[in-house]
Amino acid sequence: MTAVRATLDHCVKCTICESHCPFSAATSLFPGPKYAGPQSERFRAAGRSPDVSVDYCSSCGICTQVCPQGVKIAEINSQARAALKQEHGIPLRDRLIARPSVTGRLAMPLAPLANLGLRVRPLRVAMERSIGIHRDAPLPPVARRTFQRWARRHRAPARERAVVYFHGCSTNYYEPRTGEMAVAVLERAGYRVLVPPQDCCGLPLQSNGAFPAARRYALRLAQALAPYARAGHDIVATSTSCSLMLKREAREILGLEEDDDLRVVSERTYDICEWLRDRFDEGTLPTDFSPLPMRVPYHAPCQQRGHAIGKPALDLLALVPGLEVVELDTDCCGVAGTYGLKREKYAIGMRVGERLFRLVRESGSELAVCDSETCRWQITHGTGVRAVHPIDLLHRAYGL
Amino acid sequence: MFDVVVVGGGLAGLSAALRLAQQGRRVAVVAKGLGATQLTGGTIDVLGYAPERVDNPRRRIPELVREQPDHPYARLDLDLVERSLSWFRSAVEPLRYAGGLDENVLLPSAAGAVRPTALAPASMSDGNLRRVPRLLIVGFRALKDFYPAYVADNLRHAGIEARASVLEANPRSGEADVSGLVYAAALDADAAFRRVLADELAAVVEPGETVGLPAVLGVDEAPAVWRELQERLGAPVFEIPTLPPSVPGRRVHRLLAAALRDAGGRMVVGAVAVGAETGNGRADALVVQDAARRRPYRAHSFVLATGGVASGGLELELDGTVREPVLDLPVAGMPDGAPFSPRYLDPQALAPVGLAVDEELRPVDADGRVVYENVYAAGAMLAAAEPWREKSGDGISLASGIRVTEAIVERLS
Amino acid sequence: MKRVSTEVLVIGGGATGAGVLRDVAMRGFDAVLVDRADLGEGTTGRYHGLLHSGGRYVVKDPVSAKECIAENGVLRRIAGECIEDTGGMFVTTPLDDLEYAARFVAGCHATGVPVEEISVAEALRREPRLNPGLSRAFLVPDAAMDGWKTIWACVRSAQEHGARAFPYHPVDRILRDGDRVCGAVCRDEREGHDVTIEARFTINATGVWAGRLAELAGCPGVTVVPGKGIMIATNHRLVNTVVNRCELPGDGDIIVPIRTVSVIGTTDAEVDDPDELEITRDEVQEMLESGDRLVPGFSSSRQLRVWAGARPLFQDEKAAAGDTRDISRGLALVDHVQRDGVAGFITITGGKATTFRLMAEVAVDAMCEQLGEPRPCRTADEELPGDSPDGHYWLGSRLAGRERTMRDDQLICECELVPRRRLEEAIARQATDNLDDVRRVLRLGMGPCQGGFCIYRATGILHGERRLDGPGANASLLAFLQERWKGVQPILFGDQLRQARLDDWIFQGLLDVEHLPGDRPPEPRSREVSAILHASDQGAG
Repeated sequence: MTAVRATLDHCVKCTICESHCPFSAATSLFPGPKYAGPQSERFRAAGRSPDVSVDYCSSCGICTQVCPQGVKIAEINSQARAALKQEHGIPLRDRLIARPSVTGRLAMPLAPLANLGLRVRPLRVAMERSIGIHRDAPLPPVARRTFQRWARRHRAPARERAVVYFHGCSTNYYEPRTGEMAVAVLERAGYRVLVPPQDCCGLPLQSNGAFPAARRYALRLAQALAPYARAGHDIVATSTSCSLMLKREAREILGLEEDDDLRVVSERTYDICEWLRDRFDEGTLPTDFSPLPMRVPYHAPCQQRGHAIGKPALDLLALVPGLEVVELDTDCCGVAGTYGLKREKYAIGMRVGERLFRLVRESGSELAVCDSETCRWQITHGTGVRAVHPIDLLHRAYGL
Repeated sequence: MFDVVVVGGGLAGLSAALRLAQQGRRVAVVAKGLGATQLTGGTIDVLGYAPERVDNPRRRIPELVREQPDHPYARLDLDLVERSLSWFRSAVEPLRYAGGLDENVLLPSAAGAVRPTALAPASMSDGNLRRVPRLLIVGFRALKDFYPAYVADNLRHAGIEARASVLEANPRSGEADVSGLVYAAALDADAAFRRVLADELAAVVEPGETVGLPAVLGVDEAPAVWRELQERLGAPVFEIPTLPPSVPGRRVHRLLAAALRDAGGRMVVGAVAVGAETGNGRADALVVQDAARRRPYRAHSFVLATGGVASGGLELELDGTVREPVLDLPVAGMPDGAPFSPRYLDPQALAPVGLAVDEELRPVDADGRVVYENVYAAGAMLAAAEPWREKSGDGISLASGIRVTEAIVERLS
Repeated sequence: MKRVSTEVLVIGGGATGAGVLRDVAMRGFDAVLVDRADLGEGTTGRYHGLLHSGGRYVVKDPVSAKECIAENGVLRRIAGECIEDTGGMFVTTPLDDLEYAARFVAGCHATGVPVEEISVAEALRREPRLNPGLSRAFLVPDAAMDGWKTIWACVRSAQEHGARAFPYHPVDRILRDGDRVCGAVCRDEREGHDVTIEARFTINATGVWAGRLAELAGCPGVTVVPGKGIMIATNHRLVNTVVNRCELPGDGDIIVPIRTVSVIGTTDAEVDDPDELEITRDEVQEMLESGDRLVPGFSSSRQLRVWAGARPLFQDEKAAAGDTRDISRGLALVDHVQRDGVAGFITITGGKATTFRLMAEVAVDAMCEQLGEPRPCRTADEELPGDSPDGHYWLGSRLAGRERTMRDDQLICECELVPRRRLEEAIARQATDNLDDVRRVLRLGMGPCQGGFCIYRATGILHGERRLDGPGANASLLAFLQERWKGVQPILFGDQLRQARLDDWIFQGLLDVEHLPGDRPPEPRSREVSAILHASDQGAG
C-alpha cells in the first residue's frame, strides 16, 4: 500500500487526469482526481482521510490510465476511501451491495419473488429510503439456478488442452447464459473448460472501502485458482472488472503484493477476448465464422481499458463477416460497479452515462456490445437496448 | 503483427501514427498515458525566437540551421515543414487552422506577452496583434486561470490599446472555483448558457473592439461555439490559451485520436514500453507492460516519440546521467559543466540533450552509426533544440512525425 | 526622515527577536522590532522545524537537553497551533553504534527527557518506510514547529500589547549618546527613505549576524561563526514521526515531518559569510545517501528543494567569563557594559529555535536588570494568539478546511491548499509586492509544483490587490520564479526535473514571461505591519 502512495511523487499537476474524469465533469461534489489523489494524499497521515469528498470518486480508473507520469491515482483514492470508511464506518447498504455472491445466494431460492420485488415501485421506494439504493437503480434480476450448477452438469468434451474459467458473481447468479456461451466458445476453440468452485473476487468490497473483507475474498479466490495456475493453466474471465481485480487491483490496492497465490494467479489471468485474440495470433483459433449482417455499437468499459491490452473484442469481432462494430467514442457508462446504484450517486452516474446512452440510441441498433456486466445493465437501463458480451456474437457466429 | 508501433501519444506520435494509418498501414500507438497535446496552448509553433523574435520563419530557419547545424530543423527542410503543416491543417480541419511560414502571427499570452506562432485555429486568429486591434480582454469571476486586467495592462505597455472586464456568467452558479473544462463543456451542451454569456458580453463590448477571452469555447462543438458568439456579439472574438488543462489542446487531441480510430489505427493507453527484443541491428518487438504481464508488440518498424525530459522519454538520474529508458539509445548533447544555470531565465545547459539522428530520423550513436535500422525517433526527444524558449516544439513534432512516416513507407515498399 | 520613538528597539526578526519583542511588550514596555528583510528570512526560516525533546543532547550536552525538554513543554502549551505533535523516535540503524543506545537511555533518565523503548516491529508498524534492519527504537516527545507561524504568532501577541514590527528596515547606523546606545537609523526599503528609531534600550537579536551589528554599536569583535547546514525537503512525508539515528549527532541523521514534507538535515560547516551559503551537488548527494540509512529508497524519492541556513556559533574569546552568561546553555548573552563599556545594548545569540522563548526571557531579564526595573516574565504563562480551536496543528487541517470552503473560495495554490481569501488577506496585511513574503506565511508555492500553477494566479491577484502596473506585477512574478528556482536547481533530477520542465512549458512556452514588458523592481510601498496579522493557518476555523 505504501507502493501506491509513493507513486504520488510522479505527479507534476498537469491536470490531464482531471480533463478525463467523467465524474468531476458531472458533479462538483467530486473535486477531481488530481485533487483527491496525489494532492490530498500529501495531507493524509496514518490513514486519516479528512476529505469526505473522495467518496464521490467512482474508481473508474480512467485517471490512472491517462496519467502520463504513472501516478496510481484511482488506487490512491480507493485507499483513502477505505481509510475514510474505517473512521466513519461502512453503511449497511454498502455492505449489502458489496457482496453480490451473498445477495445472490440469498435471493436465488426466492428468485421469482425477489425479481418481482425489484419492479414493485413502492418496495423500491422503501428500499431507497431505508438503505439508500436508488429506486431506479438497475439491479439485475437473479437467475433461477447458478452457472456453477450448470457447469457441474455440463459434459465437457475431450480435449487435449484445458483452460480455467473464472466466471465471477455476475455470471454465476445473474447471467449464467454468458458463462454457458463462453464455455461453448472456448470448447470450439479446442479447449476443455475447467470451472473450479470459486467465489467473489472482492472487488465491490474494495470499491466500497471494506478492505479487510475484500482481502479475505480475494485471497480465498486466489487460493482456489492458484493450483491451476501453477499447473500451467490459463485463467480466462468474462468480466473485465473482476479480471482486472485479479490481474493487478487486488495486489496494488489491497496491498497483497506478497501473496504468492495471488501472484501466480494474476500472471495467468486473461480477459476472454484477450485470450482468444492471442490464440488467433498464434493461428490456432478457428475462424470459420458464419456471417452476422449487423451493425452494432461497442462500448469498452473503463476497467477493460484498464487492462491496457487494446480492445481485443474489436479485433475478434472484425473476423466475423458482415459484422460491423462501431467503436463508440465514450468514456464511462456511469454505474462504476455499485456507485451508480446509490441514492446519492445515481443521478451523477446517469449524467456521466448520458453521452453513451445517446450514442447507443442514435446507432439504431437493437443490440449493444460491452464486456462488463454492470455496464451492460446500465446501458440497457439508460437506453432500453439489449446489451451483450462480445462472446455472445462470437457464439452466434460460430453457429453454436 | 503491426507494420509500425509508435511509442508515445503526443503530437509527434499521433501524427506519425495517423499518417501511417491513412496510408493503409497497420499501426498501434502504445502510450503510457495521454500526451502533451492536452497541455499545449493549441497553436502550432514553428520558430518564435532565435533568440530574438522571429517574424519570418521561412527566412530564419535556414539561418538557424547554419548557426546550429545539429538543430532538428537541419534534418527537417522547409518543404517538409510546410507539408506537415498542411497535413495538420487537414487532419484537424474543423478547427480551421491558418497561418504559415512567411509571417508569424502575434498573439497575446495569458500573461499579456506578445507571443509569436505559425498556425492558429480560427478561434484565435482575430487576436493577431499585427492588426493593432482595440482589445477588450475579458475573464470570468469563477475562472482562476485567467487575469484580464493583468493581461490588458501588459498589452498596453506593449503599445496595444486594451481594457479589461470580468464576467459573472458561471455554468455552476454559486460556485467560486470552476475549471475551464467545465466552462467548455457547458458551452458545448447548453444553448441557454451560451446565450447568457453572449448577452453579458454584449453589454460590455464597445463598437470597434475585439474581444479576447480565455480559451474555453467548447471542445466537441468548437469552433461553432466561437462562431455563434461572434455572430451574437457582432464583434470579432478570439481565445487566449491559459494554464493546463488546455481546452484547445483537448480539441486537437480528440480529433487526431478519432481520426486514428477511424483510419483503423489502434491506441493502447496505460501500457508502458519497457524494452525491446532486438538482434542483428534490428528491433523485432517492443516489450510492453500491461496490467498483468509483459507482451511483445511485433512490427516492421518502430517510432519512439516518448518526449523529452518532461514526459520521461529521457530521464536524468541523481548521478547526472541521462538515459533513454525504452531502448537505451545513446543520448547526445550532454553538457560538460553544470546542467543548470542558477539564473532561471538563462539558457539551461541540459535542455538540448536528446537523441541524435540520421537523415531518416533514426537514432545514431556517438560515431554516427544507426543503432537499429528500423527504429525512428520524433518529437521532443530529438537533441539540440530548446522547443519552449524557441517556440519550435510543434513544428519539430509535426515535421519529424511526417518525416518518419515518409521514411518508413519508403522502406516498406 | 521619519522618526519613531520607543522604549525598546529589537533588532532581528527571527524567532529570538520575535520572542524578545513579545516578552518586552508583555512586560509593559513600548517596543519596536526591525529586520533587514521579511521576518523569518534568516536562520529560523531555514531549519528543519524540529521542536527538540532534548534527546539529541542527552549524552553530549545534558544542560541543553534539560533546557530543551523544559521549553518543549512550555511551547506545546503556549504555541499549540504552531506545533504538530508528531512525536519522535531514536532508532539504531545497522550502521550505528549499538552501545550508544544504552548511554542514550541513561542520558534521557538523567535529564528528564521522557523515553520509552518500543519493539522494532512496532516502530515499523508506525513508520513503514523505516529501515527494516533496525535493532532498537525509542519514543521521545520530539515535535515539529513551523518557524514562520511561530514568529508571526509572537509578533501578533506583541502587537496586541502595543508593539510594532517593521520588516525590510535594515539598520544603517546604531545611534550612540556617549557610552549609551540610544537607537538606530534604518532604511525603509519599501518607501525608500530613512527612519530614525529612538529607544532607551536596544536588543541585538540578529543571530548569526550579531557580530556585525555589535560592531555598528561600537562593540567590535563579537565572534559569531556561521555554521552552515543544508536541508532537503522531500515531496511528501516519508515519515510522520521525527526520526533520529540513535548515535552521536552527525550529518543527515534526522528526518523531520513538517507540514506536507519531510526534511532531512543537516550538515555543519563553518563558513565566513552567512549571506554566502553555497550548496554543492556533492553535499546534496551525501545528504541523500544518509537518508537511505534511515529510510531505504530515500535518495531515489522525489526531492523538492535544498536550502542552507547558518547556525550562530558563538566563539567570542574576548568576553571574559563574567561578560557572557550561560554560554554553557548553548545560548550566549553578551552584556556590553562589562565587555565594551557600552550601556543600553545587549546581544543575545547562539541557541536553537526550541529555546527561543527562554533566550528572550534571559535577554529581557538582563535588560530589566540594567535598567533597574525588574518586571517579571510571563511569556510562558500566556498562550500565543491563534485561530484554530483544535489545539495542535495536524496535517489534515487544510484538507478538512477545504472540504468546507470548496464551493465558496478559489484554490490558488493547489499543492498546499491555499485559498484565494487567505492570499488576499496576506497580501493586504503584509502590504507587500513580494510573493516570497507571502509564501512564508501561507506556504504558497511550496508544494510539488513549486509555483508552477500558483505563481501566475498569485501574480494576477497581486496585480489587482496592490494596484500594480503590468511591469510591476511582472517583476514580482519573475522574482518569485527565480526564488523558487534557486532551491530547486541544485537538486533537479527524476520527477522534480519533469515538474520543472512542465513549469518551464507554462512560464516560457505558454505565458512567454521572458518577453513581458519592463524589468524594474516593484515600487516601494508602505511597510509597517499594521493590523493584527493572522499568524495561524486556515486550520479548523
